[in-house]
Amino acid sequence: MYWKYVIKRILYACGGFIIIMFIFSALFNTIMEKTLYDQINETVEMEILNRSSSGLSQEALDVYKAKRYDYFIKRYHLNEPVMQRIFWRAVDTITFNFGKSTLMQSPQGDREVIKIVGSKIPNTLILFTTVVVIDTLLGIALGIKKAQKPNKKLDQSTSVITMIVYGIPGWWMAMICIMFFVYLIPIFPSGGIHSVPPPTGGFAYFLDMLYHLALPVLVLVAIGFWGRAYLIRNLVLTTLQEDFIMSARARGLSENKVLYGHTMRTAAPPIVTMALMSLLASFGGSLIFEGIFSWPGMGNLYWVAIQQNDVPVLMGLLAVTTTLSLSGLVILDLIYGFLDPRIKVGGKA
Amino acid sequence: MKLNNIKRSMLSFWNEFRQTRFGIFGLITFCLFVVIILFETAIIPFPEASTRWRDISYWEDNPKGAAPVWVNWFTSTKHTPQKVITDVELKREEDSGFEFIDVVIPYDYQYDIAPNDIIFHAMTRGEVTLMISLLRPDGDEILLTEKSVNSTTLRDLRIPISTNSLDNVYNYVKQHESFENIKAKPKNVMNSMQVLFAKAEEGMLQNPASLQGEYQLKITAVILGEGEFLEPNLVISGNVFGLLGTDSFKRDIWSGVIAGTKWAMLIGLMTSSLAVIIGVIFGVSSAYFGGLVDMLMMRFYEIAASIPMLPVLIVLSAIFKPSIWTIILIMCVFSWVGPVRTVRSIGLQIKAETYVEAARALNASHSRIIFRHMIPQLIPYAFASMALSVPGAIVTESTISLLGLGDPTIVTWGQILRDAVSGGAVLQGLWWWVVPPGLFIAGMGMTFAFIGFAMDTILNPKLKTR
Amino acid sequence: MDKILDVRNIKLHYLTRKGAVRALDDVSFPLYRGETLGVVGESGCGKTTLGTALLNMPTPPGKIVGGEIFLEGKNVLELNERQYRTNIRWEKIAMVFQGAMNCLTPVYTIQKQMMETIKFHREIEDDQALERIIKYVNLVGLSADVLKRYPHELSGGMKQRIVIAMGLFLEPDVVICDEPTTALDVVVQAQIINLLKELKQELKLSFIFITHDLATEAEVSDRIMVMYAGKVVEIGTNEHIYGSQGASHPYTRRLLAATPRLHQQVEQLAFIPGTPPDLLTPPTGCRFHLRCDEKMEKCMKEEPPLKEIGPEHKVACWRCY
Repeated sequence: MYWKYVIKRILYACGGFIIIMFIFSALFNTIMEKTLYDQINETVEMEILNRSSSGLSQEALDVYKAKRYDYFIKRYHLNEPVMQRIFWRAVDTITFNFGKSTLMQSPQGDREVIKIVGSKIPNTLILFTTVVVIDTLLGIALGIKKAQKPNKKLDQSTSVITMIVYGIPGWWMAMICIMFFVYLIPIFPSGGIHSVPPPTGGFAYFLDMLYHLALPVLVLVAIGFWGRAYLIRNLVLTTLQEDFIMSARARGLSENKVLYGHTMRTAAPPIVTMALMSLLASFGGSLIFEGIFSWPGMGNLYWVAIQQNDVPVLMGLLAVTTTLSLSGLVILDLIYGFLDPRIKVGGKA
Repeated sequence: MKLNNIKRSMLSFWNEFRQTRFGIFGLITFCLFVVIILFETAIIPFPEASTRWRDISYWEDNPKGAAPVWVNWFTSTKHTPQKVITDVELKREEDSGFEFIDVVIPYDYQYDIAPNDIIFHAMTRGEVTLMISLLRPDGDEILLTEKSVNSTTLRDLRIPISTNSLDNVYNYVKQHESFENIKAKPKNVMNSMQVLFAKAEEGMLQNPASLQGEYQLKITAVILGEGEFLEPNLVISGNVFGLLGTDSFKRDIWSGVIAGTKWAMLIGLMTSSLAVIIGVIFGVSSAYFGGLVDMLMMRFYEIAASIPMLPVLIVLSAIFKPSIWTIILIMCVFSWVGPVRTVRSIGLQIKAETYVEAARALNASHSRIIFRHMIPQLIPYAFASMALSVPGAIVTESTISLLGLGDPTIVTWGQILRDAVSGGAVLQGLWWWVVPPGLFIAGMGMTFAFIGFAMDTILNPKLKTR
Repeated sequence: MDKILDVRNIKLHYLTRKGAVRALDDVSFPLYRGETLGVVGESGCGKTTLGTALLNMPTPPGKIVGGEIFLEGKNVLELNERQYRTNIRWEKIAMVFQGAMNCLTPVYTIQKQMMETIKFHREIEDDQALERIIKYVNLVGLSADVLKRYPHELSGGMKQRIVIAMGLFLEPDVVICDEPTTALDVVVQAQIINLLKELKQELKLSFIFITHDLATEAEVSDRIMVMYAGKVVEIGTNEHIYGSQGASHPYTRRLLAATPRLHQQVEQLAFIPGTPPDLLTPPTGCRFHLRCDEKMEKCMKEEPPLKEIGPEHKVACWRCY
């Protein structure tokens, strides 16, 4: 039963992905094609240059050039009507064939977009997963405390703090903190994932990364975990009012067992959902944030690609981000189904 | 649901809302923002800031990157604040076809750090020659500059002293300063303002000691033939300025921030209300129609929800360079997915209630049931949802502007921050450029958060009992 | 007969912002070993609150503000929370909830929940615990493979049986059944009632059977306690209440009259006009006087005490002494 659900879910996601890629393709068709034309020209010119020293006549070269040009046009289906072009563009993107970047290179010197993007994904993941994990843990700790004495002093005061920080943009907070903790009172490095040059040796390398991770994580957690605590508090409070909690207490189970065993276990699916969703959401917002800290992740790549107008990279990033989003949602559903037996066994959502 | 019922529930809602402290606080700050928006032109010293934000001439006389005036309260060395002196002594004399005008502009200088510049303004027409000199409290009178202008229409004459008096000031210095110091600091490196307002003694180039007291700027203007010389005034371009200082483009940040308030409010409210309205209608319809319609709508919803808003918004903005209204529209297009899930589940619960069945048995039309029976019950949730989405919308727009992709015809807080970042405010420590816009973003966010959370706490328990 | 439980003058108030809601006001009654005491009354009369009071677990913001509960001679309200939890709850006094309530944690299997409870109270090995669990599961008429299921997979009747099994498997002295059959259909209802009767016989337990259904009460109980507005108005044997002479207290009589009989021809069903009183500000004198058609002057001013008018028959009514 469960596996049917899993497969159904994955299929839906794939379907959704394909549709989205087509939408992107249609929207950005003109731009993508312009870049393609530019790149074709560049490639053909390079080829001509390579051959010009081989002693062929100018006419022969021109013919060759025309032939190569034609070849590329046909290969990328540029001579076909619009709808078909969009279709082929989409196919390209779906198969993760993003082409080459106009200006950038991956750390290994590759100009393939997919390699460039691929090298940045882990950095983003390191940063935001750390944030979400710490956020959630602190949120659970505070949320439980708030739920145990609802509407008393701790609950009310922390809720007020939640509301105050609700509208603070993360990147602005980052700017302020940098001004304060990097320039005014230099405690933290101003950015990047490693010092230049990075220290050798596994442990020192790791420590160095932690040192660079500290400020960005601190900023995001400082703003974010209040909201998390508030939501968890609501969730736990609602769960605590359920009949089975009273029943568990009546059976003489200890308060700890009731709280962590029964309450938290029941509240686990929504909490995990929340954590994962905020992780997915943070991919979108990482743009500016990574830029401020010069953190070499996907968001930073976006920023650079925009400034340099590097369309293939942008398209590739869009596709990758959407893929991550969708797969995240699928994983979310699956984990939820796993944690909540009402879904797991019943097969109904 | 009758209108009376709605009125009653709204009244009881308002009663409960009044009791939450933070709800009221949020409402107060909200009214404060509304007041700011309504009286914008009255509160700011540069009323046209909104439309002339990118017009350099509007900000000409301000200092670049000056800290706010109240910084002076915290330092022992006093900075010169911005001042415009219009109260002048003016004497006119006519003699054989020439008009002689003597203007004396007094300036009481009680600070330690000299002004950025002093700029003389007058409205002139015709052929006018002027001579400007400065009478210092120690009795020295320095001829600063001589100028001639000629124009056929009445135009603003603007003479910044710092650039127009270098030679004369340097000569003055040579009379008092030691030889070594003069050699060390040639004319083009000299800060003429510092010197003009410093004690005439050795060391006035390197370590000027401030000469405080009453200064007088004396202007003698001669109009040859027919012409006009009106409204002479002196602008002291201070090194601290206004409530929130200036940016490196000489713009008054206070004016900019206040001018941006209305846009933030507009963007926030419009995006969130449209998004929530669409989301509610979508969710309710999906719940009401059920079956195949529901499934298709939900699939559509999933796809829409999976597209990450910010990256797409950025790429679209980069390519199509939209106006603020288009940006709002695109934000709505992405944000409507927010309330849909909850609305749909509430909708499903309502649908199961017997009065809906009864209405259908009475042959009520679909839209009647949806709009008369289901939606009124979602109004409280919708409002809470709207309030809580406003901060997000404002931040999103700020993010777009931060990347330089916003609407260039308006001023928003995000744009001010963008200029701050590209103008190196963070590196140069120009905190008054970076902190206030962000504080206002946070402030408006906080306002709506208070209101929204207050609504949420009231409505949530009710949702539970359903 | 041996008194296993002696409840004296229990007062349980819900302390709300508007004041104290006097849900249980001076409730006293004995429970004899091996009997079933039925507790009846309208919604809001305090019967469920009574259950929580006996477990010393009043739903917040409730608080027991007075009275004693003597279990086997000792006042258990003197124990602190921890002692109550380890020694009394479920060991000596257990509660069988309305199975239709979701009183089983949805994320754990039945087996886990039952094991957890047993192991919390007894030092026994897993396999022994499992044996006992299976024994009781069978006792309530279910097979052992429900143990691997989750609560949402069971029907209402099955859940009710599990809850009964859980209430009994520690073999407590007192079992409180709170509306155990109310949400079930009549067929299952009958099954559950028969089950309870059997179990009482076999295990020699003492039950407190709370319900608003008089018919069920008559089936199951040896003695019956009628509650109204947080007070006990009549308490007597089955015979006293349902017997040929009819009950004594006006309220009890009206309650019985309001039950439709299968073979009676009636023009209009009898009912009791009015609504139960607000327990925040209860009426002066007898709490029932506003709806009573036999009231006297005294009823409006003085509260009638629970007095004995016959062997094992107590009433709180000025008319009945």
